[in-house]
Amino acid sequence: MFNGFQGVLYRELNVFRKRAKKQILASSLSPLLFLIAFGWGFGDRVAVDGLPYITFLIPGLIAMSSLNQSYGIALELNITRFYFHVFDEFLIAPISHVEIVLGEAAYGMFKGLLSTALIFAYSIIFSVKLVIGPMFFLAILTHTFLFATLGITIAMLVRDHGDQATVNTFVITPMIFLSGTFFPVDKLPAVFKWLVYALPLTHSTKVIRATLTGGDVNMLYLLLMTGFAAAFFLTALWAIRRVEG
Amino acid sequence: MAVTETVKQVKNVLEAEGLVKRFGSKTAIDGIDLRIREGDFTGLLGPNGAGKTTTIKALTGLVKPTEGKVHYYGNDFLRHPMEAKRFIGVVPQQSNVDRDLTAYENLYLHSILHAIPRPLRRGKIEESLEFAGLQDYRDRQVKTFSGGMKRRLVLVRALLHEPKILFLDEPTVGLDPQIRKNIWELILKINQQKGMAILLTTHYIEEAEKLCRSAYIIDKGKIIVEGSPDDLKKDMGGYVLEVFLEDRVEEEFFSSKDDALARLKECGHACKIRQVTLEDVFIKLTGKRINV
Ligand SMILES: Nc1ncnc2c1ncn2[C@@H]1O[C@H](COP(=O)(O)OP(=O)(O)O)[C@@H](O)[C@H]1O
Ligand SMILES: [Mg+2]
Repeated sequence: MFNGFQGVLYRELNVFRKRAKKQILASSLSPLLFLIAFGWGFGDRVAVDGLPYITFLIPGLIAMSSLNQSYGIALELNITRFYFHVFDEFLIAPISHVEIVLGEAAYGMFKGLLSTALIFAYSIIFSVKLVIGPMFFLAILTHTFLFATLGITIAMLVRDHGDQATVNTFVITPMIFLSGTFFPVDKLPAVFKWLVYALPLTHSTKVIRATLTGGDVNMLYLLLMTGFAAAFFLTALWAIRRVEG
Repeated sequence: MAVTETVKQVKNVLEAEGLVKRFGSKTAIDGIDLRIREGDFTGLLGPNGAGKTTTIKALTGLVKPTEGKVHYYGNDFLRHPMEAKRFIGVVPQQSNVDRDLTAYENLYLHSILHAIPRPLRRGKIEESLEFAGLQDYRDRQVKTFSGGMKRRLVLVRALLHEPKILFLDEPTVGLDPQIRKNIWELILKINQQKGMAILLTTHYIEEAEKLCRSAYIIDKGKIIVEGSPDDLKKDMGGYVLEVFLEDRVEEEFFSSKDDALARLKECGHACKIRQVTLEDVFIKLTGKRINV
């Protein structure tokens, strides 16, 4: 019954296992640089939203880093699809598209959670106290699922590597910088604020930050995240069906 | 002693009717009809761009046909693909093995995707590796494999779930002659020992003639003729006399070698007798060669 899900996950995790050291090392560097530059650089002198900047920053880094990882399966899917045609093995097998999407999404979530754990380790080094409760887990699972399914959607829609790079440059990277990961979006001019609140990462970051720093979680934002997750799950299914055009 | 004679009825595994696939304004296949029975070894022979790969993709669920019907054992494949996918095996034109996985892991992945019961997996995989002659490379990453080894791995992978029909898309393209022979032997063994129906596409005349008991010849998305290679050649006459004129070669067809010899004797030019090939059949029908 779940053999499609299992198969996809077996494949992705086994490939990951062989590159794990390199991948984890590579993905651990950029959040560390941010922490050194902005966390230590600004020190305790800067407070944002009533929090020391580094305490404000770490949840933002978690949102960013886990997004990078779970959305990042798009690139891997691209390679398996266009260069090695491995994806055809999934399409030929007697398994449903739902299982393929869920299997890939689970892999993206796994990678996102791994990078989250890494930043938790950094937070200990930088002696930042975080509250890790059930609401946080709900938030990070929704967050990584929604960006993994967005990644699947994009990977199935683009025609090649170049397209993929274009999407990253013009959509993903600006989103990462504008969605309140490094500064509070409420300081933005009104026009920008509208734009930024249309991006799913803005809601994710707010919810993740609130849960980790003991603030109030805005349930509307969590609901919006769930909405995005459901929408991207459906677009991913639609995009796979389109591959069979 | 009473002998009960069982008249074995040969069932149709696959029937396709009026398959059309358009990519935008480009018509890749244009009304393909096919029938494959249990145990058949059928070839789909045609030049590059004729629509062979598109046909295979349409028959295996990788591409949705624009028009037409596909039935496996009488069941509508386009409506209910899951059922039929269980007894389809596909060897695509590119060896789409997972480079980062070992041979064993590649096969294990297939065994999960095709819901082979867990206790049977290991034994079946070891058997497959042996059949492909890859048992010594079981735990090597596939990226270290040669082209021929990858082909053999893809072949046995497609067989792992014991399909009733195997699709082979240009199975020896890009391989050395020696390795090609090796793959041919493997394919024949599969058809004979396992009694599996095979649909093989190729643009190599020799491959179609050596392996296939029946052939469809395809050009520009249409089947132009079908029949057993022997019958198709007999219909042409069986023997060709090539007459070397000053500016061209003229071909004359004869139904026996003696007739051809008699003509050769009275012919005032340099001449050569050879057997008819499927290439001659193709040239006669389309006015061009299969391999340019
Ligand atoms: N995805 C596609 N988009 C547009 N045209 C295609 C596509 N796939 C195949 N074609 C075209 O359809 C025709 C048949 O291709 P194909 O089935 O690959 O031929 P063969 O396998 O016999 O070489 C070719 O002209 C090819 O360019
Ligand atoms: Mg082809």
